[in-house]
Amino acid sequence: MPDLVWFLIRRLFATVLVLLALSLAVYLIFYALPADPARLGCGKPCTPDRLEQARHFMQLDQSTIQQYLAFLRGIVVGRTYGEGGAAVHCDAPCFGYSFPLARPVTTLILDRLPITASIALGAAVIWLIVGVSLGVGAALKRGKLFDKLAVGLALIGVASPSFLVGLLAILVFGFWLNMVPVNGYVPFTESPVDWAWHLIMPWLVLAALSSASYIRLTRAQMLEEMNLDHVTTARAKGAGERRVVLVHGLRGVLVPIVTIFGLDLGSLLGGAILTEKVFSMQGLGELLISGVSQVDVAVVVGVTLFSAFLVIIANLVVDLLHGVLDPRVTHG
Amino acid sequence: MADRPVLEVHDLHVTFRTEGGLVPAVAGIDFAVAPGKTLAIVGESGSGKSVSSAAVMGLLPSNADVKGEVLLDGRELVGLPNDELRKIRGNDIALVFQDALSALNPYYSVGWQVAEAYRLHHDVSKKEALERAVRMLDLVGIPAAKARAKDYPHEFSGGMRQRVVIAMALVNDPKVLIADEPTTALDVTVQAQIMRLLEDVQTEFGTALVLISHDLGVVAEVADDVLVMYAGRAAEHGSVKDLFYRAAHPYSLGLLGAMPRVDVPPRHRLTTIPGSPPSPGSVKTGCPFQPRCAYTERVGERCITERPELTPRPGEGNHEAACHLGRRPEVAP
Repeated sequence: MPDLVWFLIRRLFATVLVLLALSLAVYLIFYALPADPARLGCGKPCTPDRLEQARHFMQLDQSTIQQYLAFLRGIVVGRTYGEGGAAVHCDAPCFGYSFPLARPVTTLILDRLPITASIALGAAVIWLIVGVSLGVGAALKRGKLFDKLAVGLALIGVASPSFLVGLLAILVFGFWLNMVPVNGYVPFTESPVDWAWHLIMPWLVLAALSSASYIRLTRAQMLEEMNLDHVTTARAKGAGERRVVLVHGLRGVLVPIVTIFGLDLGSLLGGAILTEKVFSMQGLGELLISGVSQVDVAVVVGVTLFSAFLVIIANLVVDLLHGVLDPRVTHG
Repeated sequence: MADRPVLEVHDLHVTFRTEGGLVPAVAGIDFAVAPGKTLAIVGESGSGKSVSSAAVMGLLPSNADVKGEVLLDGRELVGLPNDELRKIRGNDIALVFQDALSALNPYYSVGWQVAEAYRLHHDVSKKEALERAVRMLDLVGIPAAKARAKDYPHEFSGGMRQRVVIAMALVNDPKVLIADEPTTALDVTVQAQIMRLLEDVQTEFGTALVLISHDLGVVAEVADDVLVMYAGRAAEHGSVKDLFYRAAHPYSLGLLGAMPRVDVPPRHRLTTIPGSPPSPGSVKTGCPFQPRCAYTERVGERCITERPELTPRPGEGNHEAACHLGRRPEVAP
């Protein structure tokens, strides 16, 4: 166990370093842009006086490095913009303040997260089940009709852009057949049924496309695994074919699938940009897109860092799971 | 009773359907093993040894056609539905593989794997099966078996892993144990330990052992009977003495000449058999060994035109060889 503790400490330390480097990079990139957030914030008509005022209020009149340090400080102790009655407070952990939206970035992210998480987790469950079972089936029926169909489907899925499939799905099932709602989000706590009903289309579209790569991955891994000697051993012991496949074959395929799944889920939780846009869901991806178009640097930096944090955490979880799933792996 | 064979194979043919046509891997072999006895099947790579053992177990891929008879205690196994065969595999006939590291599942503890073999054929609780597994691991000589049962295959040495595989094969007290080159992957000293272990369990349980090997040293030590295979056919079979003292087939002699031994003068060069074995199915007529045989000239064109059948040779009763050379050849030139 001490090994594991050291491993975790080292990884957390590395995570902090990566996040620091990443936030600095994002900061520098967005401050190198010609657009001026203060100009958007000063309203019309924008006199040089007012612009200077806005710049000072948004603390954009400091050097880039000073702003970055203020940002870091805000994470720990919070931040206050302006003075007196007009002052805006951003409580710790403050990841910046969005002036266009007049909300702290932390609040914005936490508000949007349930929507993105609902989309991502639901889709992930579907694509994991569909992708793995079709992949296993294809491997076992190698060269037969089922295999060809599954591989063909996977090829189409990998090649299809999600916005196109999403729009087609909205057109067919939403408008022509009028079966499902075409947009909107209902919180789970309000009505689980409506929640699922509004999410079913994004889930299916996202899952259909992601299943494709899981079919291919599972099929390839399973073909390899079923040719290994220990699978023959299982047969020689007298295990039935179902047990051979599920207990001895699939077990070895679990490690690569969990790896890819963790990373996919991690990056999807940071915002399913296209799917959210197509289905008009106000998730993190949508927040990021609107932040970019409004030169809302605080939002862009905040969402980017949050996404990166999720990916890093997903990596860490995957690494820890490796140790659980594969007895040969040690966290030294 | 002891001499009645527990496993009999008659005229076994195995043909693989491939994209390049039919490939006969085994073209009519016979053998039998009695309880407590050891039959060694020897031959070069590709001679059909391993395919024969897989055919007995019904473990060949679906593109393999098996013809002939495989009798376990008089019961025909060829053509048995998979579900019936499943009950026999691992229970009546068990297999020990060459490479224990790849034969064991890396994701499960060795105790679990041995216990699984038991539970597949006995309606017992997991706990009982694990207790049985620990007893077997102890029996095959794994120190601190109870604690080590929780360990995974990669945490064992090569010899210990092979002991685990043997424990797994023996856990159901099978009538027949097929060991496919069980010591090839091991150090020489460990090889001897594993062979001794196999002999011990055989004496204790009266298991019939089919030992597939190309190590004639091991064969001489443990086998009762020997079957020499060449290109999917029997070249010669007989008792171990027949083979080592009265070998009648030039191929057997070639194998013996290629074996290092202590009773020949030092600096004596080991002989080799020139050429390489034919690919399966490429020999249509004549003797498959003819292109590599030093005695062809003495026999003449019969070697090229006529396939030699197994004919009786002098020996301990059942000695047969498939060679046109009537007289026993001298020691290989």
